Amino acid sequence: MFCIVAFLVLSIIGIFSASHRALAKEAFDCVFRRITFRPCNTGFSEKMKAQLIGKMMTKSIRVARFLNRNFELLSWILFILTVASLFWTGKGLYNFYMYGSCNGLNKSGFCALDPTGENNKISQAGGSCSIGSGDESKVTLKDVNLSTFPIKDIGSKDNVVFIGCFNCDYTRKAYPIFKEFLSKNKVNYTFAHYPVKGETSYLLPIGYCAYQQDKEKYWKFVDKLFESSKEDNAKPEYVGKVLTDLGYSSESITKCTQSPETKTAVARQRIELEKTNIYGTPLVFINNRGLVGPKPFRVYDRILNGLKFWK
Amino acid sequence: MSLLKIRKDFTFLDDNKWIYLDNACQSLRPRQVVDAIKEYYENYPVCAGRSNYRLAVELQQKLTDVRLLVSKFIGAKKPTEVIFTRNTTEGINLIANSYPFVEDDVVLISDKEHNSNLVPWLLLAKTKKIKVEIFSTNIDSTWNWESFNQKLSSKVKMVSLGITSNLDGVTIPFEEIIKKSHQFGAKVLLDGAQWAGHRQTEVSKWGTDFFVFSGHKTLGPTGTGVLYGKEEELAKLQPYQVGGSTVADTSYTDFELLGIPERFEAGLQDYSGILGLGEALRYLGSIAWSEIEAHEKKLTEIIIEGLEKIPDINIIGPKESDKRNGIISFYHPKAQSHQISIILDQTANIMVRSGRHCVHSWFNDRGVKDCVRASTAFYNTIEEAERFVNELKKVIGVLT
Repeated sequence: MFCIVAFLVLSIIGIFSASHRALAKEAFDCVFRRITFRPCNTGFSEKMKAQLIGKMMTKSIRVARFLNRNFELLSWILFILTVASLFWTGKGLYNFYMYGSCNGLNKSGFCALDPTGENNKISQAGGSCSIGSGDESKVTLKDVNLSTFPIKDIGSKDNVVFIGCFNCDYTRKAYPIFKEFLSKNKVNYTFAHYPVKGETSYLLPIGYCAYQQDKEKYWKFVDKLFESSKEDNAKPEYVGKVLTDLGYSSESITKCTQSPETKTAVARQRIELEKTNIYGTPLVFINNRGLVGPKPFRVYDRILNGLKFWK
Repeated sequence: MSLLKIRKDFTFLDDNKWIYLDNACQSLRPRQVVDAIKEYYENYPVCAGRSNYRLAVELQQKLTDVRLLVSKFIGAKKPTEVIFTRNTTEGINLIANSYPFVEDDVVLISDKEHNSNLVPWLLLAKTKKIKVEIFSTNIDSTWNWESFNQKLSSKVKMVSLGITSNLDGVTIPFEEIIKKSHQFGAKVLLDGAQWAGHRQTEVSKWGTDFFVFSGHKTLGPTGTGVLYGKEEELAKLQPYQVGGSTVADTSYTDFELLGIPERFEAGLQDYSGILGLGEALRYLGSIAWSEIEAHEKKLTEIIIEGLEKIPDINIIGPKESDKRNGIISFYHPKAQSHQISIILDQTANIMVRSGRHCVHSWFNDRGVKDCVRASTAFYNTIEEAERFVNELKKVIGVLT
């Protein structure tokens, strides 16, 4: 049993150390003989055991004796721990590749490969920016009516939804990645502004009206707001200038935003977004699968296209 | 013999950090040997014999001096009876491959010969159809005349034996064996690997036909060894390695061999090694053999007495120290030999050998897995022997 543990451990250490590589080779020879039902005659286990006992003897004779008497049992425990550890490591690597988090999709626990949790950070409703603490498993598009939201419908079978806030750091981080994702995939794309911070709530009716008045210009408007500084986005006069520059009529937009229909539509949109159980932005849905926080490109791409290593 | 003075010559022992008890594998080298090797590379790093410039001539003279020294060290009649080899193994292989054996000739060896005195004969049995006869030693590993006499016959062409066994340090009654073998017309090849650095060698007096030993077990460098052969016996040998340095002249169809010993020393020799070997033998020669023998017997006595006090220890071979030449092998049924040696090294810097010591055949035959071997030399101290025993007790205490 010990040679299996030693082989696994030494193989990993052997990546960095030539001397351990030689030991790993010896351990492998022992393991290979065992799995082919032959006795391990290299004396590897004996030698390693002796080295451990010898080192321990210089510290404590009693512990060394204990180690000698219970070596097989300790080897088994180590074996189980090593296998479990390898399993969890493998799962963590898999999850990180697939979902951008070692802990799985929308799980925000500690991940050594993403120690600051960047891939899971969200801007929470209420205005703070931190690792999300909502119930990730509950985000859904079930019974959510997105028909009044801006959409680029190209007749694809795939649908993606991006719910974000113009002035939230993590939405702003995710947006360019998501744009790249959109540029490389043919999907129907729905955008929803969900203002986590109150300073951009005034953009809700403006966005609604801009989309209603000119769908093509609307997407440029969105891009511009994500490119602009958060301070500028908080200024109505700046946004007004952006609209004008894009060719919108400021009077027309103002008139639209003040109409009761717009106010009702914006309120309904908010109600629909709440049905997603959103607790922070960005929230992305790819064919109804929800992703909370800014994910790496590969995660968006893999969820849409599956595992295509040959691409 | 001043042990303190002697130990100062061995740089490795200078700070008393290590306890070296693996002398049966190879001995340590005194400073003088290392200096001789260094001197060659620094002062006359040239070819001997082949060139006429002064340094080449000087080196050739030094090598000739070493050959003379070796012949005196082993008690040969002439320096031409000395052939430089790489080690004992090569010496035995040279005889096995060069002696005019014919089909059905018998080579007689004991049941506890080192692989170097077993495998060359087994190979010869396959290639030249000779027969290898093996006689057994006593249960306590001592010499068994009855078994030997039963196998000895006029068909035996060669009796090849290790004088001192590397397994247990038991020394055979070689002078009687030589006489007895000669009565049957058999030649005798003595493997002196474990003997030459510990007891005086007198090949001519003994009457042995061949004698081999290794430099690395007699304070010399690795890669050096000696084959002694009686002049008339060497003349019977057909060189099995030829080439440069072995011939006086060649044509495209024939060659003329040089005389003995050059015809057996193919290729450029290990000059620095041979010079180091010379220094080693000079060093050994400066100490009285009787003092070396007495000291090593004392060390053996201490170790055996200590081992006997450890429960369940099995000592291979006789327990009387005067029947061993400084080699003590043992095993414990509940403690693995490799573990004992590794732990002794780790906890007390004591170096002993564990395993089958190249006598696999004996271990397989006796059903013994392996053993630990402690082998002493004249530079080991009483304190080292005592410390070894005490540390061994601790290790066995933990492992059982």
